[in-house]
Amino acid sequence: MECTTQQRACPLRSLPFYPVIQSKAKFMLVDTMMLFLGSAFEVASKYVPELKREMSDWNDGRRFALCVLPDGPSITLEKRGDTVKFLGRGVQSPDVAFFFKNLDAAVPVFVGLNSTHNGFAQGKIMIQGNLAYAMEVNRAMTLVLAYLFPVIAFKHLFKAPPRLGVSGLINKAKVYMTLVPQAVMNLIVIMKK
Amino acid sequence: MLPNYYQFYSPIKILSGSKAVSNIPYEMGLLGCKRAMVVTDKGVVGAGLIEIIKSAFADSDRRIGFIFDEVPPDSSNRIANKLAKLFEKEQCDCFIAVGGGSAMDTAKGANIVISEKSDDLLKLQGAENIKADLKPMIAVPTTAGTGSEVTKAAVIYNEEANCKMSFVSDKLYPTMAVLDPAMTATMPPKITAMTGMDALTHAMEAYTCLQKNPVSDVFAKGAIELIRKYLVRATENGKDEEARLGMANAALMAGVAFSNSMVGACHSLAHATGGVCHVPHGLANAIFLPWVLEYNSDKVPEYVAELSGVLGGAVDYLEAKDQAMVTVTLVRNLLVRLNQLSGMPIRLRDAGVTEDKLPAIAKLTINDGSLILNPKEVSYDDALSILKKAF
Repeated sequence: MECTTQQRACPLRSLPFYPVIQSKAKFMLVDTMMLFLGSAFEVASKYVPELKREMSDWNDGRRFALCVLPDGPSITLEKRGDTVKFLGRGVQSPDVAFFFKNLDAAVPVFVGLNSTHNGFAQGKIMIQGNLAYAMEVNRAMTLVLAYLFPVIAFKHLFKAPPRLGVSGLINKAKVYMTLVPQAVMNLIVIMKK
Repeated sequence: MLPNYYQFYSPIKILSGSKAVSNIPYEMGLLGCKRAMVVTDKGVVGAGLIEIIKSAFADSDRRIGFIFDEVPPDSSNRIANKLAKLFEKEQCDCFIAVGGGSAMDTAKGANIVISEKSDDLLKLQGAENIKADLKPMIAVPTTAGTGSEVTKAAVIYNEEANCKMSFVSDKLYPTMAVLDPAMTATMPPKITAMTGMDALTHAMEAYTCLQKNPVSDVFAKGAIELIRKYLVRATENGKDEEARLGMANAALMAGVAFSNSMVGACHSLAHATGGVCHVPHGLANAIFLPWVLEYNSDKVPEYVAELSGVLGGAVDYLEAKDQAMVTVTLVRNLLVRLNQLSGMPIRLRDAGVTEDKLPAIAKLTINDGSLILNPKEVSYDDALSILKKAF
């Protein structure tokens, strides 16, 4: 599939400003997906008991960030009480940060075609900060991805695709129903800043 | 199967052979260094190995500035901070780490503190926190081994949090690795067996984990072949120079392999067990290796199966899953043989671990960075199950 896409893209590369357009498109895609991921984290932390259990040992005020190097999109989240608060764009003094080397490394992860653990294995994602925190955040993020992405993406995202069960599917429905309003609210807050 | 993308980096100069240590002053000259801080432990000093290092400087204009021999069995942040202060006080310009993984990691830890101009190693823990170039470091292993002489990681015990911290950075590669059979000749049989199994674990995990690549696979397989040939020989007869050099090279090659392919659940369990119960790293790896290979074999049976041939025991016409079990059996047989020769424990209970500690070890295991690259998902319950089997 990738070869076919590359073949179809070949004639496009000769167009003027194609690299710029391509880069901008990737930037916007990752930026949008980061907004949704951050919002999904917020929403899932309210409705998903497994996520609450996973985060129960975390110190209050723990911050973690996702960032695309060198000047790509980035978001920071913070644990407050037993939920997660999306702080908005930028790397805001996180305890642990996940850095994607470039947009090409980030796009497959944010569209559900590559997992974070494969990203680490391929050297496309780097961790800065406390490694133990990073493992905990990665486990929490994996849970969030299970509630964000459809089942069809699970084989790319997880070593062992989770089975959600009836209550899991109900929680997933709650996440889906509240995700878009939450994302819109977060976007308004970001734009006001 | 070729990975979609991989990276490989190994910038260390390797000196290997009889009297390799005598080349150190010359190599220091090439690096522009004049005054070395030797980092070692009392065991190495007691075995007379530092005299071999000193004699290399006898007719040289390069000097040993200070010999720091306070490295504990588990390198700690307090010792690394102390060493860093001493390095500056003695006006040294390079490190010579003589010993096992602890001496290497202590030197790396102190090097981080000095080069980052920090006052505390704890502030720099984690991955990619090191930005400054480090002082030259010459690694002379006296075990075979952790492979620390060629790795970009340092594992240091955090005395405050009672756990092991990992430091990972391309800057942590030593400048040079010196393999001299005289430096490992005094290792007792039990240490030979434990450190040899550590090297085997490195090689096998590098071959089976998610970050494997064709270049590191060559080093991993080469290491396993050398271990198959020399580990039992070196354990039986410590004075066998060929076996000692063979194992030193095996540990180095395994170190190159796992430094680029990383490791998996076996090391996560070993780090956690070392942090909670202070079981030596090599011993913990030895105990967990067959259990983790068995655990992973239903996810990556072909990779585990391929190792049976390298270990000299492939059986014709077996399916990958069954061949993988042959690999596990070969590793268990090796452990039993080493136990008979050296008394190395092969169960956790014999290594001083009590059953009430297993939940705490499992909890630490799932937060270890190595686990992310294990081919199969390991939850808290999975880790506890492996621990109970190994107990």
